[in-house]
Amino acid sequence: MAEALVIRNLSKRFGGLRAVQDLSFSVRDGETVALIGPNGAGKTTSFNLVTGYYRPDTGSVSAFGRELVGLRPHDICGHGLARTFQVARPFGKMTVLANVMTGAFLRNRNMDIARSRARAAIDFVGLSAKEHTAARELTTIDQRRLEMARALATEPRLLLLDEVMAGLNHAEIDQAVALIGNLSKRGLTIVIVEHVMRAIMAVARHIVVLDHGQKIAEGSPREVVANAEVIRAYLGTGYRHEVPPAGTVGGVAC
Amino acid sequence: MGAVKSARFTRSWSWVAALAAAGLVLPVVVADPFALDIFIRVLLFAFIGVAWNLMGGYAKQLSLGHAAFFGLGAYTSTILLIRFGISPWIGILAGGLVAMAASLPIGALCFRLRGPYFAIATIATAQVLMLLFLKFRDFAWGAEGTTLPNLGDAPLMMQFESRAAYYYIALALLTLGLAITYCIERSWIGFYLVAVGEDEDAAEAVGVDTTKIKRHIYLISAFLTALAGTFYVEYIYFIDPNTAFSFNISVEAALVSIVGGIGTLWGPVVGTVLLEATSALLQSWLGSGHGGVQLTVYSLILIAVILWRPNGLIGLFTDLYQRFTHAGAARARKVPFDG
Repeated sequence: MAEALVIRNLSKRFGGLRAVQDLSFSVRDGETVALIGPNGAGKTTSFNLVTGYYRPDTGSVSAFGRELVGLRPHDICGHGLARTFQVARPFGKMTVLANVMTGAFLRNRNMDIARSRARAAIDFVGLSAKEHTAARELTTIDQRRLEMARALATEPRLLLLDEVMAGLNHAEIDQAVALIGNLSKRGLTIVIVEHVMRAIMAVARHIVVLDHGQKIAEGSPREVVANAEVIRAYLGTGYRHEVPPAGTVGGVAC
Repeated sequence: MGAVKSARFTRSWSWVAALAAAGLVLPVVVADPFALDIFIRVLLFAFIGVAWNLMGGYAKQLSLGHAAFFGLGAYTSTILLIRFGISPWIGILAGGLVAMAASLPIGALCFRLRGPYFAIATIATAQVLMLLFLKFRDFAWGAEGTTLPNLGDAPLMMQFESRAAYYYIALALLTLGLAITYCIERSWIGFYLVAVGEDEDAAEAVGVDTTKIKRHIYLISAFLTALAGTFYVEYIYFIDPNTAFSFNISVEAALVSIVGGIGTLWGPVVGTVLLEATSALLQSWLGSGHGGVQLTVYSLILIAVILWRPNGLIGLFTDLYQRFTHAGAARARKVPFDG
């Protein structure tokens, strides 16, 4: 299977802080990969490096065979990588529909076509009832939905989701998991940063664990949760006893 | 839904038609040259406000240096007229092009900065241009400025006996500005501008080339502002650096938009009408004597408006209008940017 995203020896320092150190991993086409680790491990920084918001000090990022380092964020979006932000950043004074249309204009500048494509994306995330609501009036959860719809409207091949489930209740997490599952079924490659282990176990085929900017483990969900280093740095010793049997959704949120 | 929408559509168009008709017959009804002068100024400043609003309002790039383009437009056409005898009708376009060319380096410098720093940088560019025109006497008459040759009634040289002719030019300029804004607001460009104004990083994330769209809207805004500069000089028959690059022009351009309603089609027009009317009324009630009482009251009114209606007075009018018509159907329209 072809590689959708290849990250090689990526490093970024902020002054004396090594935010990301010599990070390498790759994501295969159509796969869902989770990036986990404690706060400050460098997950969001990695997203910003991949999507062009930060320029790496060293290393390379290539997606679908194209080098991305040095490109501006909108170019990277044009190459089929769409992202969401950890704290949703909707265009507050626009309606939900206008927000998503702004994303749709990347592929087609025609108003009617953009509108119908935007509606499809809004429908997909289940926000159709609030199409004409101003984005700033939405709840946090709906703002995250909106941001996902806006990203989808750019017709990405690779979607980078930054903590879309933080603060959701159990039912909402199940909805979000189903949504990501559906996206994956449509053939989208997904990289997800998340703390909700229950969701990660359900959606990710492959997990990369970061700590202090470095990759400390990588593998299938079952391998990762059994890894002593990962338990020490992130999951905590209590997690060991709650490893779910393969194929089920369970475990605890950290 | 469609019927409601089209009813709203025809109603808003009938408003525009009524307004246009009133605008066209006004000089016929109002013969008083002093009153007509006020109307010409209203149209001109509304036009400058509309030009500013494209960039400052929709994309929220709060420029306080639009006098740079006003002055360049004014000087380009005047130099072409006096030194080369070229008609201001050509000069006005040349001035627009010069302003566009100037907006590229100015934008390249200023767009590196965001928010208030951007505003300060734009003030500086207009001041630098003013100083250049003050110091280089051989080039453009220096600080004394110059009067324009009076050619009598010469329509081909943009000079008219009748004040109504100037009125119609100003009206045409405003119509042009509003038409451009209308088209932009209803296309992807408008969405991209508002996206940039709301959150530049988020705009980049959905594929908006923020640098490019800012550069392009600055070109359009500069071009339109320069047209106003040429017209103003032709109207008052005089040019000097202090008038052409006046900081007041920059402030007025921003102010009428902010008071009227930033990032809305009619905001600058509403703002100019209200501000000019207030200023004219205060002047006639309080007189220009009394050590600036009139200016103090004017400033107090401004402060009150900004405090109570930070989104501009146009919102107040649409609210009242909706209360008198039927509120339910028009609710969606309250959101400034819908699909």
